[in-house]
Amino acid sequence: MTTRRPALALLALALLPGIAPCGYSSNDKDASSGAAASKAAITVTADKGCSIDHATLAAGGIDFTVKNVDATAVSEVEVLSGDRIVGEKENLPPGFSGNFSITATAGDYTLYCPGAATEKTPLKVTGESTDVDTSAAALATQASKGYAKYVNTQIGYLVDAAKNLNAALQGTDLAAAQKAYAEARPFYEKIEPVAESFPALDPAIDARADGVDPTSITGFHRIEYGLFKVKSLDGLAKYGTGLVRDVTKLQSKAKQLSKQDMPYQLTELANGAQGLLDEVASSKITGEEERYSHIDMLDFANNDEGAQQAFAQLVPILEKTDPALTKQIQQRFDALNALVDTYRDSAEPSGYMLYSALTTADKRKLAAAVKAVQEPLSRVASKVAG
Amino acid sequence: MTDQQQSGPAARPSRRLFLGGALGAAGAVAVGVGGFAAGRATADDSADPTASQVPFYGAHQAGISTAAQDRLAFAAFDVTATDRLELMQMLGTWAAAASRMALGEQVGPVETHPQAPPADTGEAMGLHAANLTITVGFGPSLFDDRFGLAKHRPEALEQLPPLPGDLLRRELSFGDIGVQACADDPQVAFHAIRNFARIARGTAVMRWSQLGFGKTASTSTAQATPRNLMGFKDGTRNIKNSDTKDLDEYVWVGDETDQPWMKGGSYLVTRRIRMLIENWDTDYLADQERVFGRIKDSGAPLTGTHEFDTPDFKAVKDGKPVIDTRAHIRLAAHENNDGVRILRRGYSYTDGIDPVTGYLDAGLFFIAYQKNAHDQFVCLQHRLGQHDNLNEYIQHTSSALFACPPGLSGPGDWWGKALFEA
Repeated sequence: MTTRRPALALLALALLPGIAPCGYSSNDKDASSGAAASKAAITVTADKGCSIDHATLAAGGIDFTVKNVDATAVSEVEVLSGDRIVGEKENLPPGFSGNFSITATAGDYTLYCPGAATEKTPLKVTGESTDVDTSAAALATQASKGYAKYVNTQIGYLVDAAKNLNAALQGTDLAAAQKAYAEARPFYEKIEPVAESFPALDPAIDARADGVDPTSITGFHRIEYGLFKVKSLDGLAKYGTGLVRDVTKLQSKAKQLSKQDMPYQLTELANGAQGLLDEVASSKITGEEERYSHIDMLDFANNDEGAQQAFAQLVPILEKTDPALTKQIQQRFDALNALVDTYRDSAEPSGYMLYSALTTADKRKLAAAVKAVQEPLSRVASKVAG
Repeated sequence: MTDQQQSGPAARPSRRLFLGGALGAAGAVAVGVGGFAAGRATADDSADPTASQVPFYGAHQAGISTAAQDRLAFAAFDVTATDRLELMQMLGTWAAAASRMALGEQVGPVETHPQAPPADTGEAMGLHAANLTITVGFGPSLFDDRFGLAKHRPEALEQLPPLPGDLLRRELSFGDIGVQACADDPQVAFHAIRNFARIARGTAVMRWSQLGFGKTASTSTAQATPRNLMGFKDGTRNIKNSDTKDLDEYVWVGDETDQPWMKGGSYLVTRRIRMLIENWDTDYLADQERVFGRIKDSGAPLTGTHEFDTPDFKAVKDGKPVIDTRAHIRLAAHENNDGVRILRRGYSYTDGIDPVTGYLDAGLFFIAYQKNAHDQFVCLQHRLGQHDNLNEYIQHTSSALFACPPGLSGPGDWWGKALFEA
């Protein structure tokens, strides 16, 4: 047996981003001999594809160094258990190298280098390990249930806020109703992908008057039209009642769903987070969503938060396999949040500057910050699938 | 179905099937996969795919002395990342992607995981390389204190000074990195820029971009001189790629550079020159020819009969110079500029219409390569901007300068490697 590091050190190493000290041209460590190793060097070349100096590895913590010599089609290296990614290194164009670590129990694994001449190489992990990898299945359930709890909480707030809005719509105070409208919007915007999964409910609650008469729709934007464009409460009472009915329906459907072991698949969490950012990029940046009230920044901030919450549930899973990507996405969410915060305005009922007050340069900066999250986030679904 | 009735124009079905699994919509996924496979099966069609390839690796970057291709896609990027390694990885990934696109290949595998977006965006599948070249240069703004490059900025990479007649729009000018993609197929050129922008996301953002639909310069004696949107042959006396002496003398950076990483490179100047086409179209022929100093039909200088006749700037008729003192070819000629020459590689562009006037927004996206833009382009433009008859019909609306490093030696080399290691 080759030497093994203490389990605690290995675990700590596994949580470190793989890019830290590697540079882009560091030399490979010497390949050690022996049947079952805890260190292995992967070399990627155009001719031979992906090769590894040890095909049999010892259970426990395993450190990989990776070097892409000249394989232009390859930019990442993965270790798979079945179809599940257990560890990987990205951003590896020719001329760059890096490292990553996994904690593996005995069994068959695959070294996968997408795009390489030899894409897949079998790996064997043997022996007993004292490092117990937290069960992937348990983590998955935890993430799914965690997200379901978040969704149900937000829908609970949504129902309360819709009731307040409805009460205001039954009254005569326009300003109070406008305020109640802005107070109800965030909760829907946070969980929109879940609502969109119910094809009848989403249009009833959140349809926009795209190419149709604004009086022909129901839900939030019908109420917005009355409150901010017509500036009158006339005829809005029934839409308030309808909204309460529809969000209550949404609440019971979401509760029903959360009784399952896996209320939401992990890929759905990843895609849902991405869907929320798509929403931001396609309709918030353009100011189409709140075309009468111009409180788009409020929706923007809440789409962003909803996306980040869905992603946050995946972090314990993702950071085991790809700590660098996890950190990158977290940092980019932080940067986006910091930028969104600069548009806060406590004098506005929505708490944010009206979207009509933003300049083109503001919008372009926001759009770039959203794209910066979207691109790495688009890789998450495949990494938590399986 | 009530669901379908309600999902009229106002409905917004999610672009991503959020609850695809839970609600049993897996069938839709299977259909998508089948459709994709069918698309791929028809992609490998035409004959010799290597016939239209320009070597990507070499002493100099391709896309400079390469025979000018028909189409251009150009983009300038600003780096948003603060991490030096992230920028290096982006440049490395660009180089790998470019080497593949130059072979007509995709930047990476389409199929990796069904739940992951494909590495390549896919629109160039089956189109071959179409003589694609991708040329990258670094703008003066990259050499500030962000990445520790200030001490490696060549003296020649000083931002261009204000030039006579400049009407520059800042948002269409300058940039940390410039990327020129030229190909004989517009989709191949666009595909290159799009995939670069995608790779850059989170590291750099596109500052401006420009499509060019037709070449306006010939860089090879095998090519006829194309016409610009004014209908004239301009650039007849351009440096040709067979003149290695001219290239060494005027285009490639040599031992004179203060920064060794630029040796073998070239300085790129881009200028978006809008033509006031409607005015030009009403100008009478003799005046159009006076403006250029050439005969419109043949392209010959007003003192000659064939396009490639050497202009006689001394010729006088009826007491007046045959080639006007302010004619474009007179002011641009190397004989009249202490021998200064540049390699031109511009493209005609149109960006639709001017929203205020309804006039065509079209003209020349001027591209020039040279050893030192301050000694060459700036010197020429000073004269042209002050005196050229053409100025009545053109506006310079964008400007940029980029230092294009030498060519890449092979896989594992990347744009700026020598700079970052300097």
